[in-house]
Amino acid sequence: MTPLVVFLLVFLSFPALVNIVYSLSDVTFQTMRAPEIVGLRNFGEVLIDPEFWAASWFSLRFGVLTAVIECSLGLALAIFLSPIVSRHGWTMAILMLPMMVAASMVGLMYRLVLHEFAGPLPHYLTLWFGTSPAFLDANNAFWTLVVVEVLQWTPFAFLLFHVAYISIPSEIREAAAMDRASAWKIFWRIELPMMKATIAIALGIRFIDGFRVFDNVFALTGAGAGGSTMSLSIYIYQSFFKGGQIGQAVAASALLFLASLVLLYGGALLHSRLGQRRAAA
Amino acid sequence: MNVLRWIVFAIAAFAMNFPVIVTLITSFKGAREIAMNPGLLIQAPTFANYAKVLTDTSRFNIYAYLLNSTVAALIGSVLALLLTVPAAYAIVRTGAGRRHLFPLVANLRAVPLVVFAIPLYMMFQFVGLLDTRLGLGLILTIVNLPLSLMMMVNAIADMPGEIDEAARMDRAGAFVILRRIVSPLIRPAVVTAFTFGFITAWNEYLFGLMLTTREAVPVTVGASFFFSASGGGVQWGVASAVMILGALPPAVLGMLIYKQLTGSMTAGAVKG
Repeated sequence: MTPLVVFLLVFLSFPALVNIVYSLSDVTFQTMRAPEIVGLRNFGEVLIDPEFWAASWFSLRFGVLTAVIECSLGLALAIFLSPIVSRHGWTMAILMLPMMVAASMVGLMYRLVLHEFAGPLPHYLTLWFGTSPAFLDANNAFWTLVVVEVLQWTPFAFLLFHVAYISIPSEIREAAAMDRASAWKIFWRIELPMMKATIAIALGIRFIDGFRVFDNVFALTGAGAGGSTMSLSIYIYQSFFKGGQIGQAVAASALLFLASLVLLYGGALLHSRLGQRRAAA
Repeated sequence: MNVLRWIVFAIAAFAMNFPVIVTLITSFKGAREIAMNPGLLIQAPTFANYAKVLTDTSRFNIYAYLLNSTVAALIGSVLALLLTVPAAYAIVRTGAGRRHLFPLVANLRAVPLVVFAIPLYMMFQFVGLLDTRLGLGLILTIVNLPLSLMMMVNAIADMPGEIDEAARMDRAGAFVILRRIVSPLIRPAVVTAFTFGFITAWNEYLFGLMLTTREAVPVTVGASFFFSASGGGVQWGVASAVMILGALPPAVLGMLIYKQLTGSMTAGAVKG
Protein backbone atom coordinates (compact mmCIF):
# COMPACT_ATOMS: atom_id res chain seq x y z
CA MET A 1 0.00 0.00 0.00
CA THR A 2 2.59 2.53 1.08
CA PRO A 3 4.76 2.33 -2.05
CA LEU A 4 1.78 3.04 -4.26
CA VAL A 5 0.76 6.01 -2.15
CA VAL A 6 4.28 7.46 -2.20
CA PHE A 7 4.51 6.97 -5.95
CA LEU A 8 1.17 8.67 -6.45
CA LEU A 9 2.15 11.56 -4.21
CA VAL A 10 5.32 12.19 -6.18
CA PHE A 11 3.90 11.72 -9.64
CA LEU A 12 0.43 13.16 -9.23
CA SER A 13 0.38 15.71 -6.46
CA PHE A 14 3.53 17.46 -7.59
CA PRO A 15 2.21 17.87 -11.13
CA ALA A 16 -1.09 19.04 -9.71
CA LEU A 17 0.71 21.66 -7.65
CA VAL A 18 2.82 22.78 -10.60
CA ASN A 19 -0.31 22.95 -12.69
CA ILE A 20 -2.03 25.21 -10.21
CA VAL A 21 0.94 27.55 -9.79
CA TYR A 22 1.76 27.78 -13.48
CA SER A 23 -1.81 28.23 -14.56
CA LEU A 24 -1.82 31.38 -12.44
CA SER A 25 1.56 32.63 -13.60
CA ASP A 26 3.24 34.43 -16.42
CA VAL A 27 5.88 31.90 -17.34
CA THR A 28 8.04 30.99 -20.33
CA PHE A 29 10.81 28.42 -20.80
CA GLN A 30 13.27 31.03 -19.54
CA THR A 31 11.43 31.91 -16.33
CA MET A 32 10.30 28.40 -15.44
CA ARG A 33 11.96 28.37 -12.04
CA ALA A 34 10.64 31.79 -11.03
CA PRO A 35 7.10 32.17 -12.29
CA GLU A 36 5.39 35.49 -11.73
CA ILE A 37 1.91 35.16 -10.35
CA VAL A 38 -0.64 36.95 -12.51
CA GLY A 39 -3.89 35.52 -11.21
CA LEU A 40 -6.50 34.26 -13.60
CA ARG A 41 -5.18 36.01 -16.68
CA ASN A 42 -4.12 32.76 -18.39
CA PHE A 43 -7.58 31.34 -18.03
CA GLY A 44 -9.02 34.50 -19.52
CA GLU A 45 -6.65 34.30 -22.46
CA VAL A 46 -7.48 30.67 -23.08
CA LEU A 47 -11.20 31.31 -22.85
CA ILE A 48 -11.11 34.07 -25.45
CA ASP A 49 -8.86 32.08 -27.78
CA PRO A 50 -11.01 30.93 -30.71
CA GLU A 51 -8.55 28.07 -31.32
CA PHE A 52 -9.27 26.70 -27.86
CA TRP A 53 -12.98 26.59 -28.59
CA ALA A 54 -12.41 25.12 -32.03
CA ALA A 55 -10.26 22.40 -30.43
CA SER A 56 -12.89 21.75 -27.75
CA TRP A 57 -15.57 21.46 -30.39
CA PHE A 58 -13.38 19.08 -32.39
CA SER A 59 -12.76 16.86 -29.37
CA LEU A 60 -16.37 16.82 -28.26
CA ARG A 61 -17.73 16.07 -31.71
CA PHE A 62 -15.00 13.50 -32.35
CA GLY A 63 -15.61 11.78 -29.01
CA VAL A 64 -19.39 11.58 -29.38
CA LEU A 65 -19.38 10.50 -33.02
CA THR A 66 -16.70 7.84 -32.70
CA ALA A 67 -18.22 6.44 -29.49
CA VAL A 68 -21.68 6.13 -31.01
CA ILE A 69 -20.47 4.68 -34.32
CA GLU A 70 -18.03 2.26 -32.69
CA CYS A 71 -20.62 0.98 -30.23
CA SER A 72 -23.37 0.58 -32.86
CA LEU A 73 -21.05 -1.23 -35.23
CA GLY A 74 -19.51 -3.26 -32.42
CA LEU A 75 -22.91 -4.33 -31.13
CA ALA A 76 -24.18 -5.30 -34.56
CA LEU A 77 -21.02 -7.29 -35.29
CA ALA A 78 -20.98 -8.93 -31.87
CA ILE A 79 -24.50 -10.25 -32.29
CA PHE A 80 -24.28 -11.16 -35.95
CA LEU A 81 -20.86 -12.83 -35.71
CA SER A 82 -21.37 -14.44 -32.31
CA PRO A 83 -22.01 -17.97 -33.71
CA ILE A 84 -18.73 -18.06 -35.61
CA VAL A 85 -16.62 -16.11 -33.11
CA SER A 86 -17.59 -18.27 -30.14
CA ARG A 87 -16.83 -21.42 -32.12
CA HIS A 88 -13.60 -20.30 -33.81
CA GLY A 89 -11.33 -18.45 -31.38
CA TRP A 90 -8.88 -17.35 -34.05
CA THR A 91 -11.49 -15.05 -35.61
CA MET A 92 -11.50 -13.07 -32.37
CA ALA A 93 -7.71 -12.81 -32.53
CA ILE A 94 -7.88 -11.35 -36.02
CA LEU A 95 -10.52 -8.81 -35.03
CA MET A 96 -8.47 -7.79 -31.98
CA LEU A 97 -5.26 -7.27 -33.94
CA PRO A 98 -5.90 -3.59 -34.80
CA MET A 99 -6.05 -2.76 -31.07
CA MET A 100 -2.59 -4.19 -30.50
CA VAL A 101 -0.94 -1.77 -32.90
CA ALA A 102 0.00 1.64 -31.52
CA ALA A 103 -2.56 4.29 -32.47
CA SER A 104 0.28 6.57 -33.57
CA MET A 105 1.64 3.79 -35.77
CA VAL A 106 -1.80 3.34 -37.32
CA GLY A 107 -1.86 7.08 -37.98
CA LEU A 108 1.47 6.80 -39.79
CA MET A 109 0.24 3.77 -41.73
CA TYR A 110 -2.69 5.79 -43.03
CA ARG A 111 -0.27 8.34 -44.41
CA LEU A 112 0.76 5.55 -46.73
CA VAL A 113 -2.74 4.15 -47.29
CA LEU A 114 -4.12 7.55 -48.29
CA HIS A 115 -1.08 8.90 -50.14
CA GLU A 116 -2.10 10.16 -53.56
CA PHE A 117 0.73 8.37 -55.40
CA ALA A 118 1.90 5.52 -53.18
CA GLY A 119 -1.40 4.76 -51.44
CA PRO A 120 -3.54 1.81 -52.53
CA LEU A 121 -6.85 3.45 -51.60
CA PRO A 122 -6.59 6.44 -53.97
CA HIS A 123 -5.10 4.05 -56.55
CA TYR A 124 -8.10 1.73 -56.52
CA LEU A 125 -10.66 4.51 -56.21
CA THR A 126 -9.18 6.21 -59.27
CA LEU A 127 -9.03 2.90 -61.10
CA TRP A 128 -12.64 2.00 -60.39
CA PHE A 129 -14.40 5.36 -60.16
CA GLY A 130 -12.06 7.66 -62.05
CA THR A 131 -11.57 9.94 -59.07
CA SER A 132 -10.37 9.92 -55.48
CA PRO A 133 -11.23 12.50 -52.81
CA ALA A 134 -8.56 14.53 -51.03
CA PHE A 135 -8.89 12.64 -47.77
CA LEU A 136 -6.86 15.04 -45.68
CA ASP A 137 -7.93 18.48 -46.89
CA ALA A 138 -9.69 20.83 -44.51
CA ASN A 139 -13.19 19.63 -45.42
CA ASN A 140 -12.59 15.89 -45.33
CA ALA A 141 -9.89 15.46 -42.69
CA PHE A 142 -12.34 15.29 -39.80
CA TRP A 143 -14.34 12.48 -41.35
CA THR A 144 -11.23 10.65 -42.47
CA LEU A 145 -10.01 10.70 -38.87
CA VAL A 146 -13.38 9.50 -37.60
CA VAL A 147 -13.16 6.51 -39.94
CA VAL A 148 -9.55 5.83 -38.91
CA GLU A 149 -10.48 5.87 -35.23
CA VAL A 150 -13.63 3.81 -35.74
CA LEU A 151 -11.83 1.12 -37.72
CA GLN A 152 -9.17 0.74 -35.06
CA TRP A 153 -11.39 0.81 -31.96
CA THR A 154 -14.66 -0.82 -32.99
CA PRO A 155 -12.97 -4.09 -31.96
CA PHE A 156 -12.92 -2.83 -28.36
CA ALA A 157 -16.69 -2.32 -28.32
CA PHE A 158 -17.11 -5.57 -30.21
CA LEU A 159 -15.12 -7.43 -27.57
CA LEU A 160 -17.13 -6.05 -24.64
CA PHE A 161 -20.43 -6.79 -26.38
CA HIS A 162 -19.34 -10.25 -27.45
CA VAL A 163 -18.60 -11.22 -23.86
CA ALA A 164 -21.84 -9.66 -22.59
CA TYR A 165 -23.86 -11.32 -25.33
CA ILE A 166 -22.60 -14.85 -24.83
CA SER A 167 -23.06 -14.56 -21.07
CA ILE A 168 -26.82 -14.10 -21.46
CA PRO A 169 -28.18 -17.48 -20.25
CA SER A 170 -29.41 -19.50 -23.21
CA GLU A 171 -32.52 -20.60 -21.26
CA ILE A 172 -33.85 -17.06 -21.48
CA ARG A 173 -33.59 -17.06 -25.24
CA GLU A 174 -35.05 -20.55 -25.48
CA ALA A 175 -38.00 -19.60 -23.31
CA ALA A 176 -38.68 -16.56 -25.46
CA ALA A 177 -38.40 -18.63 -28.63
CA MET A 178 -40.86 -21.08 -27.09
CA ASP A 179 -43.30 -18.19 -26.78
CA ARG A 180 -42.81 -17.59 -30.52
CA ALA A 181 -41.08 -14.28 -30.00
CA SER A 182 -39.33 -13.18 -33.19
CA ALA A 183 -35.54 -12.79 -33.19
CA TRP A 184 -36.03 -9.05 -33.53
CA LYS A 185 -38.32 -8.94 -30.54
CA ILE A 186 -35.96 -11.05 -28.45
CA PHE A 187 -33.22 -8.57 -29.27
CA TRP A 188 -35.21 -5.47 -28.33
CA ARG A 189 -37.06 -6.83 -25.33
CA ILE A 190 -34.54 -9.18 -23.77
CA GLU A 191 -31.00 -9.00 -25.08
CA LEU A 192 -30.65 -5.25 -25.39
CA PRO A 193 -31.96 -4.50 -21.87
CA MET A 194 -29.66 -7.17 -20.43
CA MET A 195 -26.66 -5.58 -22.11
CA LYS A 196 -27.57 -2.03 -21.10
CA ALA A 197 -24.84 -1.69 -18.48
CA THR A 198 -22.15 -2.92 -20.88
CA ILE A 199 -23.37 -0.53 -23.56
CA ALA A 200 -23.17 2.40 -21.15
CA ILE A 201 -19.63 1.45 -20.13
CA ALA A 202 -18.47 0.94 -23.71
CA LEU A 203 -19.94 4.30 -24.75
CA GLY A 204 -18.27 5.97 -21.78
CA ILE A 205 -14.82 4.51 -22.39
CA ARG A 206 -14.91 5.13 -26.12
CA PHE A 207 -16.11 8.70 -25.61
CA ILE A 208 -13.29 9.44 -23.17
CA ASP A 209 -10.69 7.99 -25.51
CA GLY A 210 -12.12 9.88 -28.46
CA PHE A 211 -12.38 13.11 -26.52
CA ARG A 212 -8.74 13.08 -25.45
CA VAL A 213 -7.49 11.80 -28.81
CA PHE A 214 -3.90 12.67 -29.69
CA ASP A 215 -1.77 9.86 -31.15
CA ASN A 216 -3.39 8.90 -34.44
CA VAL A 217 -4.55 12.43 -35.26
CA PHE A 218 -1.16 13.94 -34.56
CA ALA A 219 0.70 11.21 -36.45
CA LEU A 220 -1.58 11.47 -39.47
CA THR A 221 -2.21 15.18 -39.86
CA GLY A 222 -0.48 17.04 -37.05
CA ALA A 223 -2.76 19.94 -36.31
CA GLY A 224 -2.74 20.20 -40.08
CA ALA A 225 -5.42 20.60 -42.67
CA GLY A 226 -5.74 24.27 -41.79
CA GLY A 227 -6.03 23.59 -38.07
CA SER A 228 -9.19 21.62 -38.74
CA THR A 229 -7.89 18.58 -36.90
CA MET A 230 -6.68 20.18 -33.69
CA SER A 231 -8.02 18.24 -30.71
CA LEU A 232 -7.78 19.63 -27.18
CA SER A 233 -4.79 17.42 -26.42
CA ILE A 234 -3.05 18.71 -29.53
CA TYR A 235 -3.96 22.30 -28.64
CA ILE A 236 -2.27 21.91 -25.27
CA TYR A 237 0.76 20.21 -26.76
CA GLN A 238 1.12 22.92 -29.41
CA SER A 239 0.74 25.88 -27.11
CA PHE A 240 3.35 24.37 -24.81
CA PHE A 241 6.03 23.33 -27.29
CA LYS A 242 5.48 25.50 -30.31
CA GLY A 243 4.12 28.62 -28.68
CA GLY A 244 6.09 28.40 -25.44
CA GLN A 245 3.02 29.85 -23.73
CA ILE A 246 3.37 27.61 -20.72
CA GLY A 247 0.90 29.44 -18.53
CA GLN A 248 -1.79 29.22 -21.17
CA ALA A 249 -1.03 25.62 -21.99
CA VAL A 250 -1.28 24.68 -18.34
CA ALA A 251 -4.46 26.70 -17.89
CA ALA A 252 -5.97 24.88 -20.85
CA SER A 253 -4.96 21.52 -19.43
CA ALA A 254 -6.46 22.49 -16.07
CA LEU A 255 -9.71 23.27 -17.86
CA LEU A 256 -9.52 19.94 -19.64
CA PHE A 257 -8.92 18.20 -16.33
CA LEU A 258 -11.92 19.98 -14.84
CA ALA A 259 -14.05 18.97 -17.80
CA SER A 260 -13.04 15.33 -17.45
CA LEU A 261 -13.82 15.44 -13.72
CA VAL A 262 -17.28 16.79 -14.48
CA LEU A 263 -17.79 14.06 -17.07
CA LEU A 264 -16.55 11.38 -14.67
CA TYR A 265 -18.71 12.59 -11.85
CA GLY A 266 -21.70 12.87 -14.14
CA GLY A 267 -21.07 9.39 -15.42
CA ALA A 268 -20.79 7.97 -11.91
CA LEU A 269 -23.99 9.74 -10.87
CA LEU A 270 -25.83 8.39 -13.88
CA HIS A 271 -24.47 4.95 -13.16
CA SER A 272 -25.68 4.94 -9.55
CA ARG A 273 -29.06 6.33 -10.64
CA LEU A 274 -29.45 3.49 -13.09
CA GLY A 275 -28.38 1.08 -10.39
CA GLN A 276 -30.96 2.43 -7.98
CA ARG A 277 -33.69 2.20 -10.54
CA ARG A 278 -32.74 -1.37 -11.25
CA ALA A 279 -32.75 -2.16 -7.53
CA ALA A 280 -36.19 -0.55 -7.19
CA ALA A 281 -37.63 -2.47 -10.12
CA MET B 1 -26.84 -17.74 -43.11
CA ASN B 2 -23.42 -18.85 -41.87
CA VAL B 3 -21.92 -18.05 -45.26
CA LEU B 4 -23.20 -14.52 -44.85
CA ARG B 5 -21.60 -14.33 -41.40
CA TRP B 6 -18.25 -15.41 -42.81
CA ILE B 7 -18.52 -12.80 -45.55
CA VAL B 8 -19.25 -10.07 -43.00
CA PHE B 9 -16.38 -11.31 -40.86
CA ALA B 10 -14.00 -11.22 -43.82
CA ILE B 11 -15.04 -7.67 -44.75
CA ALA B 12 -14.76 -6.42 -41.17
CA ALA B 13 -11.40 -8.10 -40.63
CA PHE B 14 -10.08 -6.73 -43.92
CA ALA B 15 -11.30 -3.17 -43.26
CA MET B 16 -10.06 -3.02 -39.67
CA ASN B 17 -6.66 -4.48 -40.51
CA PHE B 18 -6.36 -2.58 -43.79
CA PRO B 19 -3.54 -0.21 -42.71
CA VAL B 20 -1.51 -3.13 -41.36
CA ILE B 21 -2.08 -5.17 -44.53
CA VAL B 22 -1.09 -2.27 -46.78
CA THR B 23 2.02 -1.53 -44.74
CA LEU B 24 3.05 -5.18 -44.67
CA ILE B 25 2.68 -5.46 -48.44
CA THR B 26 4.49 -2.20 -49.13
CA SER B 27 7.39 -3.24 -46.92
CA PHE B 28 8.14 -6.04 -49.37
CA LYS B 29 8.03 -3.83 -52.46
CA GLY B 30 11.04 -2.25 -54.08
CA ALA B 31 11.18 1.54 -54.53
CA ARG B 32 10.50 1.35 -58.25
CA GLU B 33 7.54 -0.93 -57.82
CA ILE B 34 5.98 1.38 -55.20
CA ALA B 35 6.15 4.24 -57.70
CA MET B 36 4.61 2.22 -60.50
CA ASN B 37 2.25 -0.10 -58.67
CA PRO B 38 0.52 1.15 -55.51
CA GLY B 39 -1.89 -1.82 -55.58
CA LEU B 40 -2.08 -4.72 -53.15
CA LEU B 41 -0.40 -7.33 -55.34
CA ILE B 42 3.38 -7.54 -55.31
CA GLN B 43 5.15 -8.30 -58.57
CA ALA B 44 8.72 -8.65 -57.31
CA PRO B 45 8.86 -9.20 -53.55
CA THR B 46 12.10 -8.09 -51.91
CA PHE B 47 13.70 -7.89 -48.47
CA ALA B 48 15.71 -4.86 -49.48
CA ASN B 49 13.74 -2.48 -47.23
CA TYR B 50 14.30 -4.61 -44.14
CA ALA B 51 17.94 -5.06 -45.06
CA LYS B 52 18.35 -1.31 -45.36
CA VAL B 53 16.62 -0.56 -42.05
CA LEU B 54 18.58 -3.22 -40.18
CA THR B 55 22.01 -2.51 -41.65
CA ASP B 56 22.11 1.21 -42.41
CA THR B 57 21.88 2.77 -38.97
CA SER B 58 23.93 5.87 -39.71
CA ARG B 59 21.00 8.31 -39.67
CA PHE B 60 18.32 6.52 -37.69
CA ASN B 61 19.16 3.58 -35.50
CA ILE B 62 16.21 1.24 -35.36
CA TYR B 63 17.95 -0.97 -32.78
CA ALA B 64 18.20 1.96 -30.39
CA TYR B 65 14.49 2.76 -30.78
CA LEU B 66 13.47 -0.85 -30.25
CA LEU B 67 15.75 -1.17 -27.24
CA ASN B 68 14.43 2.07 -25.74
CA SER B 69 10.86 0.86 -26.18
CA THR B 70 11.70 -2.50 -24.65
CA VAL B 71 13.45 -1.10 -21.59
CA ALA B 72 10.89 1.64 -20.93
CA ALA B 73 7.96 -0.74 -21.43
CA LEU B 74 9.56 -3.31 -19.11
CA ILE B 75 10.01 -0.68 -16.40
CA GLY B 76 6.49 0.58 -16.97
CA SER B 77 4.85 -2.82 -16.72
CA VAL B 78 6.97 -4.39 -13.96
CA LEU B 79 7.00 -1.36 -11.68
CA ALA B 80 3.24 -0.97 -12.04
CA LEU B 81 2.81 -4.53 -10.80
CA LEU B 82 5.29 -4.09 -7.94
CA LEU B 83 3.23 -1.13 -6.79
CA THR B 84 -0.24 -2.54 -7.34
CA VAL B 85 0.09 -6.12 -6.04
CA PRO B 86 0.77 -5.08 -2.41
CA ALA B 87 -1.76 -2.27 -2.67
CA ALA B 88 -4.39 -4.60 -4.08
CA TYR B 89 -3.71 -7.09 -1.29
CA ALA B 90 -4.20 -4.38 1.33
CA ILE B 91 -7.33 -3.11 -0.38
CA VAL B 92 -8.93 -6.54 -0.56
CA ARG B 93 -7.90 -7.91 2.82
CA THR B 94 -8.01 -4.84 5.07
CA GLY B 95 -10.30 -2.58 3.08
CA ALA B 96 -7.77 0.23 3.44
CA GLY B 97 -7.96 2.68 0.55
CA ARG B 98 -11.09 1.07 -0.82
CA ARG B 99 -13.07 4.27 -0.58
CA HIS B 100 -10.61 6.80 -1.90
CA LEU B 101 -7.37 5.37 -3.22
CA PHE B 102 -8.94 2.69 -5.41
CA PRO B 103 -11.41 4.97 -7.19
CA LEU B 104 -8.71 7.64 -7.53
CA VAL B 105 -6.35 5.29 -9.34
CA ALA B 106 -9.10 3.59 -11.34
CA ASN B 107 -10.38 6.94 -12.57
CA LEU B 108 -6.93 7.97 -13.73
CA ARG B 109 -7.73 5.99 -16.83
CA ALA B 110 -10.28 8.61 -17.79
CA VAL B 111 -8.04 11.64 -17.34
CA PRO B 112 -6.44 12.94 -20.53
CA LEU B 113 -2.73 12.16 -20.21
CA VAL B 114 -1.68 15.48 -21.67
CA VAL B 115 -2.81 17.11 -18.42
CA PHE B 116 0.19 15.58 -16.64
CA ALA B 117 2.60 16.03 -19.48
CA ILE B 118 3.65 19.64 -18.89
CA PRO B 119 4.32 19.48 -15.13
CA LEU B 120 6.10 16.16 -15.56
CA TYR B 121 8.25 17.76 -18.22
CA MET B 122 9.25 20.46 -15.71
CA MET B 123 9.83 17.92 -12.98
CA PHE B 124 11.96 15.73 -15.22
CA GLN B 125 13.98 18.67 -16.40
CA PHE B 126 14.66 19.55 -12.79
CA VAL B 127 15.86 16.08 -11.75
CA GLY B 128 17.55 15.24 -15.05
CA LEU B 129 15.17 12.51 -16.16
CA LEU B 130 14.31 14.11 -19.49
CA ASP B 131 15.27 11.94 -22.43
CA THR B 132 16.06 8.89 -20.30
CA ARG B 133 14.56 5.41 -20.49
CA LEU B 134 14.03 5.41 -16.74
CA GLY B 135 12.05 8.65 -16.95
CA LEU B 136 9.88 7.33 -19.75
CA GLY B 137 9.42 4.05 -17.86
CA LEU B 138 8.24 5.90 -14.76
CA ILE B 139 5.60 7.72 -16.78
CA LEU B 140 4.50 4.50 -18.42
CA THR B 141 4.04 3.12 -14.92
CA ILE B 142 1.44 5.81 -14.26
CA VAL B 143 -0.27 4.93 -17.51
CA ASN B 144 -0.45 1.28 -16.46
CA LEU B 145 -1.51 1.77 -12.84
CA PRO B 146 -5.32 1.91 -13.25
CA LEU B 147 -5.84 -1.30 -15.19
CA SER B 148 -3.09 -3.09 -13.29
CA LEU B 149 -4.65 -2.22 -9.94
CA MET B 150 -8.12 -3.27 -11.07
CA MET B 151 -6.87 -6.57 -12.39
CA MET B 152 -4.87 -7.29 -9.22
CA VAL B 153 -7.80 -6.41 -6.97
CA ASN B 154 -10.03 -8.74 -8.98
CA ALA B 155 -7.47 -11.54 -8.86
CA ILE B 156 -6.87 -11.28 -5.11
CA ALA B 157 -10.57 -10.98 -4.38
CA ASP B 158 -11.12 -14.24 -6.27
CA MET B 159 -8.46 -15.97 -4.18
CA PRO B 160 -9.73 -18.10 -1.28
CA GLY B 161 -9.07 -16.14 1.92
CA GLU B 162 -8.32 -19.11 4.18
CA ILE B 163 -4.88 -19.73 2.74
CA ASP B 164 -3.23 -16.46 3.65
CA GLU B 165 -5.42 -16.29 6.75
CA ALA B 166 -3.64 -19.43 7.97
CA ALA B 167 -0.27 -17.92 7.19
CA ARG B 168 -1.14 -14.82 9.12
CA MET B 169 -2.10 -17.01 12.09
CA ASP B 170 1.42 -18.39 11.93
CA ARG B 171 2.70 -14.82 12.26
CA ALA B 172 4.14 -14.66 8.76
CA GLY B 173 4.96 -11.08 7.76
CA ALA B 174 2.95 -9.34 5.06
CA PHE B 175 5.90 -9.35 2.68
CA VAL B 176 6.47 -13.07 3.10
CA ILE B 177 2.78 -13.79 2.60
CA LEU B 178 2.77 -11.72 -0.56
CA ARG B 179 5.84 -13.37 -1.99
CA ARG B 180 5.31 -16.96 -0.92
CA ILE B 181 1.55 -17.36 -0.94
CA VAL B 182 -0.28 -14.66 -2.84
CA SER B 183 2.06 -14.26 -5.80
CA PRO B 184 1.99 -17.91 -6.93
CA LEU B 185 -1.79 -18.01 -6.64
CA ILE B 186 -2.38 -14.94 -8.78
CA ARG B 187 0.39 -15.69 -11.26
CA PRO B 188 -1.93 -16.06 -14.30
CA ALA B 189 -3.47 -12.64 -13.62
CA VAL B 190 -0.01 -11.15 -13.11
CA VAL B 191 1.18 -12.55 -16.44
CA THR B 192 -1.85 -11.09 -18.19
CA ALA B 193 -1.47 -7.72 -16.50
CA PHE B 194 2.23 -7.68 -17.33
CA THR B 195 1.62 -8.47 -20.99
CA PHE B 196 -1.17 -5.99 -21.31
CA GLY B 197 0.90 -3.35 -19.54
CA PHE B 198 3.85 -4.05 -21.79
CA ILE B 199 1.69 -3.65 -24.90
CA THR B 200 0.15 -0.43 -23.59
CA ALA B 201 3.54 0.98 -22.65
CA TRP B 202 5.13 -0.02 -25.93
CA ASN B 203 2.33 1.69 -27.85
CA GLU B 204 2.42 4.93 -25.87
CA TYR B 205 3.25 7.96 -28.00
CA LEU B 206 2.50 11.30 -26.35
CA PHE B 207 5.08 11.08 -23.56
CA GLY B 208 7.67 9.61 -25.88
CA LEU B 209 7.13 12.62 -28.10
CA MET B 210 7.32 15.16 -25.28
CA LEU B 211 9.92 13.74 -22.93
CA THR B 212 12.51 12.26 -25.26
CA THR B 213 14.60 13.90 -27.95
CA ARG B 214 17.66 11.79 -28.85
CA GLU B 215 18.80 9.14 -26.42
CA ALA B 216 15.59 7.51 -25.20
CA VAL B 217 13.32 7.86 -28.25
CA PRO B 218 10.88 4.91 -28.38
CA VAL B 219 9.98 3.26 -31.66
CA THR B 220 6.52 4.85 -31.87
CA VAL B 221 8.22 8.24 -32.11
CA GLY B 222 11.28 6.99 -33.99
CA ALA B 223 9.09 5.57 -36.75
CA SER B 224 7.85 9.05 -37.61
CA PHE B 225 11.45 10.20 -38.18
CA PHE B 226 11.56 8.00 -41.25
CA PHE B 227 8.76 10.06 -42.75
CA SER B 228 10.52 13.36 -42.48
CA ALA B 229 13.80 11.86 -43.66
CA SER B 230 16.17 13.41 -46.20
CA GLY B 231 14.51 15.98 -48.47
CA GLY B 232 12.42 14.73 -51.34
CA GLY B 233 9.73 12.14 -50.93
CA VAL B 234 9.24 9.62 -48.19
CA GLN B 235 10.89 6.27 -48.81
CA TRP B 236 7.69 4.33 -48.39
CA GLY B 237 9.26 0.89 -48.48
CA VAL B 238 11.75 1.69 -45.74
CA ALA B 239 9.15 3.50 -43.65
CA SER B 240 6.82 0.51 -43.99
CA ALA B 241 9.51 -1.91 -42.85
CA VAL B 242 10.13 0.28 -39.80
CA MET B 243 6.43 0.40 -38.94
CA ILE B 244 6.11 -3.37 -39.24
CA LEU B 245 9.13 -3.92 -37.00
CA GLY B 246 7.72 -1.46 -34.45
CA ALA B 247 4.24 -2.95 -34.51
CA LEU B 248 5.35 -6.58 -34.39
CA PRO B 249 6.25 -7.06 -30.70
CA PRO B 250 2.92 -5.90 -29.23
CA ALA B 251 0.97 -7.65 -32.00
CA VAL B 252 2.73 -10.97 -31.35
CA LEU B 253 2.30 -10.63 -27.58
CA GLY B 254 -1.35 -9.78 -28.03
CA MET B 255 -1.97 -12.77 -30.27
CA LEU B 256 -0.23 -15.07 -27.78
CA ILE B 257 -2.49 -14.16 -24.92
CA TYR B 258 -5.60 -12.78 -26.58
CA LYS B 259 -7.81 -15.29 -24.78
CA GLN B 260 -6.77 -14.04 -21.36
CA LEU B 261 -6.90 -10.45 -22.61
CA THR B 262 -10.51 -10.93 -23.63
CA GLY B 263 -11.41 -11.82 -20.07
CA SER B 264 -9.31 -9.27 -18.23
CA MET B 265 -9.99 -6.33 -20.51
CA THR B 266 -13.68 -6.79 -20.03
CA ALA B 267 -13.27 -7.36 -16.30
CA GLY B 268 -11.31 -4.13 -16.02
CA ALA B 269 -13.82 -2.27 -18.14
CA VAL B 270 -16.91 -3.59 -16.42
CA LYS B 271 -15.68 -3.03 -12.88
CA GLY B 272 -14.20 0.37 -13.67
